[in-house]
Amino acid sequence: MIMLKQIKYITILLAGFMVLSACEKVIDVKLDNADGQLVIEGTITDQLGQQVIKISKSVPYTETNTYPPVTGAIVTVTDNNGHAWSFSETAPGTYTLPSLKGESGRIYTLKATVNDVVYTATSTMPAAVGIDFLDVKVFNFGDEDQKQAQVHYKDPAGIANQYRFVMKVNGIQSKQVYAENDRLTDGNDVPSVLFFTGNNDDQDQLKTGDVVDIEMQCIDKNVFLYWYTLSQQSSNGPSGGTTPGNPPSNINNKALGYFSAHTVSKKQLTVQ
Amino acid sequence: MKHLNGIKITFISLLVFLCSFPFILSAQQRITVSGTIKDGTTGETLIGATVKLQSASQSTGLATNAYGFYSITTAPGEYNLFVSYSGYQSSIQKITLHKSLTINVELTPASTLQEVQISATDLKDENVKSPQMGLNKINMKDLDNIPVLLGEKDVLKAIQFLPGVKSGGEGNTGFFVRGGAADQNLILLDEATVYNSAHLLGFFSTFNADAIKDVSLYKGGMPAQYGGRLSSVLDVKMQDGNDKKFGIEGGLGLIASRIKAEGPLVKNKSSFMISARRTYIDLLLKAFGDSALKKNTLNFYDINAKLNYKFDDKNTLFLSGYFGQDNIGIKDLFANDWGNTTATMRFNHIFSNRLFSNTSLIYNRYSYAIELIDEKSNAKVKSLIRDLNVKQDFQYFSNNHILRFGLQGTHHQITPSDITATSNSSINPLSIEKRYGLEFGAYLSDEWKLNEKLNLLFGLRLSQFSLLGPGQINTYNTNAEVISSKTYKSGDFIKNYLNLEPRFSASYALNDKNSIKASYNRNTQNIHILSNSGTSSPTDQYVMSSNNIRPEIGDQIALGYFKNTENNGYEFSAEVYYKWLQNQIDYKDGADLTANAEVESLLLYGKGRAYGVEFYGRKTKGRLTGWISYTLSKTERQFDGINQGTYFPARQDRTHDLSLVAMYNLSNRWSVSANYIFNTGNAVTYPAGKYNVGGLTTYYYTDRNANRMPNTSRLDIGATLKAKETRRFQSSWTFSVYNVLNTKNPYAIRFRDKENDPTRTEAVQTSLFGIIPSITYNFKF
Repeated sequence: MIMLKQIKYITILLAGFMVLSACEKVIDVKLDNADGQLVIEGTITDQLGQQVIKISKSVPYTETNTYPPVTGAIVTVTDNNGHAWSFSETAPGTYTLPSLKGESGRIYTLKATVNDVVYTATSTMPAAVGIDFLDVKVFNFGDEDQKQAQVHYKDPAGIANQYRFVMKVNGIQSKQVYAENDRLTDGNDVPSVLFFTGNNDDQDQLKTGDVVDIEMQCIDKNVFLYWYTLSQQSSNGPSGGTTPGNPPSNINNKALGYFSAHTVSKKQLTVQ
Repeated sequence: MKHLNGIKITFISLLVFLCSFPFILSAQQRITVSGTIKDGTTGETLIGATVKLQSASQSTGLATNAYGFYSITTAPGEYNLFVSYSGYQSSIQKITLHKSLTINVELTPASTLQEVQISATDLKDENVKSPQMGLNKINMKDLDNIPVLLGEKDVLKAIQFLPGVKSGGEGNTGFFVRGGAADQNLILLDEATVYNSAHLLGFFSTFNADAIKDVSLYKGGMPAQYGGRLSSVLDVKMQDGNDKKFGIEGGLGLIASRIKAEGPLVKNKSSFMISARRTYIDLLLKAFGDSALKKNTLNFYDINAKLNYKFDDKNTLFLSGYFGQDNIGIKDLFANDWGNTTATMRFNHIFSNRLFSNTSLIYNRYSYAIELIDEKSNAKVKSLIRDLNVKQDFQYFSNNHILRFGLQGTHHQITPSDITATSNSSINPLSIEKRYGLEFGAYLSDEWKLNEKLNLLFGLRLSQFSLLGPGQINTYNTNAEVISSKTYKSGDFIKNYLNLEPRFSASYALNDKNSIKASYNRNTQNIHILSNSGTSSPTDQYVMSSNNIRPEIGDQIALGYFKNTENNGYEFSAEVYYKWLQNQIDYKDGADLTANAEVESLLLYGKGRAYGVEFYGRKTKGRLTGWISYTLSKTERQFDGINQGTYFPARQDRTHDLSLVAMYNLSNRWSVSANYIFNTGNAVTYPAGKYNVGGLTTYYYTDRNANRMPNTSRLDIGATLKAKETRRFQSSWTFSVYNVLNTKNPYAIRFRDKENDPTRTEAVQTSLFGIIPSITYNFKF
């Protein structure tokens, strides 16, 4: 967390100095295109309501961001208390359960059978930790003030907690993956700045009137490793960042994606 | 303890053997000429100068050692004593030998346009005759001419123009040698290890060229006195300081200024040198009113100092030190500083005109601190690595042998991470246990002139490493689970490793100007940097060999052809090498290395191999000088759990690497220069597909480093104008243009959703430096 902040600050600092000489351009790259890989994204939340498991396939880099749904799968979720739920395909590739409230401490197991291959994953729903409040943190990098959203929460002492945040500004989701744990902050009131990454560089800060929606998820260790690995790859440091790879998935049989049982806490803020 | 006793006995018997060795060989009575070779104007000793004794019937010669000392033993008779050194007028004197003599020679620097020829056969053929291969030297005078980024002349940028050496990246001082990693270079400044040789995140090096006398880069065939790193030795030696007259020199550049003072303290007995440098990028930009940067800090400074005292002809004491620090930060938000400190005390003693001894006491330290300044989430992280080092080195010069033997002991301390914070901070204080290590080395080597044609340099180095207590030590299995845990007391030996490192080189002279050479060497390494990002970072984390981490081992074989023509005016060499690396270290995906006591559970171990061919041609005389180097190579790594366990290209694997450096003297006042580089792009991993998770476009990767960045090429030009010289004052202007063709070279490539069409993705290349002109003013009085 400290290092991520350090890298972020160094990047901001260098960007100031490099602006005279550095430049960016869009280039054509020659890529190998792999066959479509199976992608499973499944979540069970502690919010009473619809629970969704999506199954799709990856596409080559050169195509549009539309991912072919995988239909006809058999999807079930069980817990360690003897319950079993079967999901039904309500839209192509989207498997849903109309109403379920996940419970903290339960171990959920996903089983998806696709073309006779069985994919399984387990995830434990952690104890809920909610957002205390949101505010705006003002950074002064020079003349101009830069506004960023900040989440405040109280980390429970004595147990390992992992969090993921999803931020939307005026409905646009930040391109950054936010994942942190309490390895260095156990038991404290934690303020966490979520630096916004929009569609282009001009959108990388908040403006007065922006509506910020933040969702906080308490996730288990395997799911944290998944998001944290992705976050390391997206926060490119000054020397080009970490060698990219597929984040370690908790689903077997080489499926991409994850299965996460997590708690949800949401808050909204309008930037003053 | 039993194990330790065994080591002790091995060491003592080796020591006895080493000490008795010279006397066995010195049985026959002959006559010895010895002395020191110096620069006649500054009194600086000349390292690697050629000294030759020639009679009608025979000729024997050698190169001066690191202190300018030579010793030649031969039969009584009439001789010519030749001394030569690149950039100096050669010297010749007739001597009659009937008893042993001490002859000190001072050479006069040659002006570039009037190279004086002393005899038909020039003597600068050490590169052909010596059994040493894989060695490149940087001529410090060339550095004044080679155009560089922002005009800051830099040793580490100059070596990147040599064959087999690859740049860490655009404008970066990091380097890779023959497929080795960045942490596999042993970088020495007056024998002290410099752990992090980068200023400002690598754009400048810690070596202030003003203070440096000699730079040698060993890429292979490492002599046995060097140990501790797998891939290369960069041996940098500081100037002693002018012992004849007081002088000041300096330079004013665009981003930094330098000043150096040197002079005699006691004439012909003692001299000093002190050199300092500071950047002022941040001050400069503030002065130009760039208000966005007003709150930022971005600077570095360093100081080199050296003092020597010559008690008499046989005893000399040297004290030298380096201190450097970088500071970057944003006011009220964050501060990051890092730097090296080194101190070396050396004592030269000449036991006899054949036995030269040097004793060194060395201290070096690298540390960094990161501070987050915020009321609610403040923290300060400190980390350091510190060595204490004792060395005893002997050189014994006999008839056809130069024996070198010695002992070395190093105590390491690593403080991985100390976090402090105020009580209202969201970050908790945390200290990760310090780690201690002890390294012993003993070595013996012999440079043996078998006959006129065959020269051998062979030796053996014994490396012992022990991880010392106190500490709580966990042993991990491959699933990162603790399988055993034990608490050790201070002074306990936790884990010991003993390695034998054979070193062997041979040269066979086909004739006076052509030779072939072969070498084999094994090196081991017990200090490792955890990094998979390629270039060095100020917050690199160091670990030692331990119960989990085994010493890295590297074996290299090389074969070469060396040729000089036109009175050594042209040098040419071609070398092929193959290298095997064992126990290489990478870390697992998603590993969080910061302040992590369990860092050893996050590591992966693998192998490496590298092979290639290097061509090097150099023109050393005339108005036009310079060199061309070309390397064709392959560098691969293999780790279980990465790339399905198959070999993949290392990040620094660049198939083609071409460098050209040319300097041309237009007149006594004007000289011009140019460099050109071309290399294949870095091996990188591009996505093979994409998918969506968590609402974000996510990339699917298949083979590690299977793709290539675009090629890199760059042309830099420079010109130096010497102002009219007065007897007291010299000055010059250096103009340079970096990347004169404004080539957009790739620094990083990332993939993102298109700005104006988020349903598609695009690849974006970042280029760091376009065309950058600069000007530097240098003066000397």
